[in-house]
Amino acid sequence: MTPVPLVSGLWYNKCVDLLTVSVAARESAGEPYTLVELSGEADVTNTEELRRLLDSEVAAQPRMLIIDLSGLRFMDSSALHALLRVNRSLDRQGGVLALVSPQAAVAKILRLTTADRLIPVFDSVADAAAG
Amino acid sequence: MPYTYTTDLAAVRAIVQRYAREAGLPDNRTIDLVLAVSEVAANTVRHAKSPGSLKIWFDADEIICQIQDEGIIHDPLVGRRRPPVDAMGGHGLWIVHQVCDEVEMSSDEAGTTIRLHMKLPGRA
Repeated sequence: MTPVPLVSGLWYNKCVDLLTVSVAARESAGEPYTLVELSGEADVTNTEELRRLLDSEVAAQPRMLIIDLSGLRFMDSSALHALLRVNRSLDRQGGVLALVSPQAAVAKILRLTTADRLIPVFDSVADAAAG
Repeated sequence: MPYTYTTDLAAVRAIVQRYAREAGLPDNRTIDLVLAVSEVAANTVRHAKSPGSLKIWFDADEIICQIQDEGIIHDPLVGRRRPPVDAMGGHGLWIVHQVCDEVEMSSDEAGTTIRLHMKLPGRA
C-alpha cells in the first residue's frame, strides 16, 4: 500500500521542555522552502535538542530555511549559536537562512550580537519567502 | 532566602521579571536584566557541578541580582572583549557586560559570585 502523503509534505512537532519546534515543507511561487516555527523559550537547557532538529533540516539541503520566531519569548546565547551554526552550514551548501518576527527579547540579542546583520530578519513569513 | 536553581532557567527568568517589575525597572531594561541573569545562570548549568543560587534586592536607586555557584572563573576579564559574531561561544558574559549598568565578579576556589546592577528610573 502506498503511504498517503501529508498535506504539508513534511511536518513534525517536537516539544523540548519549554520549547516547541514545528517544521513544515512549504512553497512560494513554485519555490520550495522549509519553515521552522519556534515557540516558548530557547536556552542552554534545550539547545542540544534544538541543534539536532535544525541539523536534520539542514541535512535535507533546503534552498531556503525560514525560522519563524514570533512565538519565541526568549533566546539565550547558546540558542543563538545554534542559529548561527545553521546559517553557516546553509551558506556553505548554497542555501539561505531567514528569520521572521522576533519578539522584543529575541530581537535584542540578535541586535546586540549583530547576528541580525549576518542573517536577514523579515516581518512576515511571506516577506521572507519572497526574499 | 536565596532561590536555588539547577536547570530550571525559565523559573529563574520568571523570578527576575517579577522583581524587576516590582522595582519599577522599565520593560526594555527588564528584558536586559532577564537576559543577563539567564546567561550567568546558564554558565552554572554548563560549568558548575552543583546548583546555583539567586538573590535579588532593590532600593530606590537600583535593583541587584546576585548569582552564586561553585564554578570557578579563571580569567577576570572574561566577557570584556567582544567575540566575533559567528564565534561558536563566548557571547554569554559579553552580553551580560553590555546590558547591565554594573557587573561585579569575584571568583576563588570556593566558587563564583556575580552581582548585576541596574539603575532604576528616578522617582519624583
